[in-house]
Amino acid sequence: MSAGLSPGAGHALELAGLTRRYGAFTAVQDVSLSVASGEFLTLLGPSGSGKTTILMMVAGFTEPSEGHVRLDGRDITVLPPERRDFGMVFQGYALFPHMTVAENVAFPLRVRGISRAARDEKVKAALDLVQLDRFADRKPAQLSGGQQQRVALARALVFEPALLLLDEPLSALDKKLRGELQEELKTLHRRIGRTFINVTHDQEEALRLSDRVAILDHGRLVQQGTPQDLYERPKTRFVADFLGRSNFLAGTVREVRPGAMALLAGATRLVQAVPEGSPRLALGAPGVLALRPEKITLLAAGETADTEVTGAIAAWSYHGTGFALAVQTADLGLLQVALPAWRAPIAPTEGMPVRLGWPADASVPVAEDSHAA
Amino acid sequence: MTGGYGAGHLAKALAWTTVLYLVLPITIVLPVSLTDQRFLSLPYETLSLRHYANIFASPAWLAAISQSFALAVASTLLAVVAGTLCAVGCWRLSRRASDLVRVLMLLPLIIPSIVYAVGLYRWFGRLDLLDRFLGVALAHAVTAIPYVVITVSAALAAFDARLEQAARGMGASLPQTLRWVILPRIAPGIASGAIFAFIHSWDELVMVLFITSRQVFTLPRKMWDGINENLDPTMAAVAMLLVAFTILLLWLDGALRRRRGGDA
Repeated sequence: MSAGLSPGAGHALELAGLTRRYGAFTAVQDVSLSVASGEFLTLLGPSGSGKTTILMMVAGFTEPSEGHVRLDGRDITVLPPERRDFGMVFQGYALFPHMTVAENVAFPLRVRGISRAARDEKVKAALDLVQLDRFADRKPAQLSGGQQQRVALARALVFEPALLLLDEPLSALDKKLRGELQEELKTLHRRIGRTFINVTHDQEEALRLSDRVAILDHGRLVQQGTPQDLYERPKTRFVADFLGRSNFLAGTVREVRPGAMALLAGATRLVQAVPEGSPRLALGAPGVLALRPEKITLLAAGETADTEVTGAIAAWSYHGTGFALAVQTADLGLLQVALPAWRAPIAPTEGMPVRLGWPADASVPVAEDSHAA
Repeated sequence: MTGGYGAGHLAKALAWTTVLYLVLPITIVLPVSLTDQRFLSLPYETLSLRHYANIFASPAWLAAISQSFALAVASTLLAVVAGTLCAVGCWRLSRRASDLVRVLMLLPLIIPSIVYAVGLYRWFGRLDLLDRFLGVALAHAVTAIPYVVITVSAALAAFDARLEQAARGMGASLPQTLRWVILPRIAPGIASGAIFAFIHSWDELVMVLFITSRQVFTLPRKMWDGINENLDPTMAAVAMLLVAFTILLLWLDGALRRRRGGDA
């Protein structure tokens, strides 16, 4: 373990009723969220969802119109950013181009009046942490994108901040490098045990990195939970659609029994499991089910499933790990189906008739989004 | 530049005519300054540096040169400090207010210097600044501010505002951010402004004619008097020195800009 960065000194952050208005436009509306000490939280949303505005309010660059930001119970809503002691990795990194890598990393220590000797030691430790010790004397322009990103990370961590804020830290990198740095970031978080708050529009990144994800849409917090929670049990159509891909099956509730219900879409009977404690739909009410493409299976002759539907392949493509099929059905419209390519039961062709099926717990009822109405 | 349209014959001819027009006076002054005769003429038999030697042997010329130099340095310092602060202030303020201030700052460029000189004459009389070093330094500094404001504003426009945000986020106070982040980034702009301010003072004549008499005697003023009184080839030599010095400064400015282009 490096000398300069002691592990385990995370801090808890609480956002209470955070709202930010710009004139008549509300960028963030009534967002309440708490981040536990040492947690990796990701704010995920499409552009314009207010995620960056929230981060800027946490960092202190934007003042909330309403609501509070508390760090370990202390209200810091109006504390200027230079007095918050938060580390931040900016979008595009914002490295100082006229300083060397070592000078960049030393900057937060220099403004705190730390002696040169202590500074050098901490800078070295931070550069070791991101494996850039060999590049200490280079200028940022002489580094690759991934290396610049790591310098920004070292600079944000060198003064042992209470909290690390990451604003789209990997969005400027190509896909392969992004994957590598995601792994590094995750390892780093585990090693130093600090509280990380990450902002991204990349749902894959959010799923891979975070302990918890908060999904935002139109300035509102739509749903928060662990990545598995959000992927398996999306509450709204937006979440099911934004996080991964989903089919949406609309029907009318025809039967309600303990633990299950059935919806009717045309002549197709959709059987839906209803776990204990989840909200139930009333008999006769319209309902929408979200169904992941990989949970649909191709039924062989004689095979049965809770829900069965027939259709014909309208289009297909090969993705290496699998086939993506678009199956046209009479009652459910076009269904996206992900079929593993390894020992696939069929060789897809356009127009091929297929029978699809899925179990009752494959799909989830989702609410229509309030703003869409 | 590659891939653009080539220049046409007419454009080329026009460009060369312009170059000739700009360079022609120097092509006369240079030979005259090297004449071997005692009067204004082209060299007869040989090239001579005697008129250059004259300058450095004449206490009057040397005094004028050193006074011009001191004035240029003083007014440049004033203009750089005031102009840089103004440009940084405008940059930090809201758009509308700062645009107005910027336009005001350009007034010395817009108002003819003779109008300025007449106005200065009246006010300096009351303030007892006529024929004083301080008076000329102030007049030159104020009229040089636009050059500094323009070059520093241009440098600030290229400054990435996220760097300031990053500095703040890492705990830097405003003075620390200015010293370690903003000033180093705009230093080439400040240097350009300083060079132009220096040149402005170095060859300014109109205001000097109005607000000085005996005490302050700058190089352009001395040349002016020399032309009116006894026109000898020393004038040409002085003119050449003036031109050479200005070219040197402009080259310095270009070198600084190239360096900035290199690390951006």
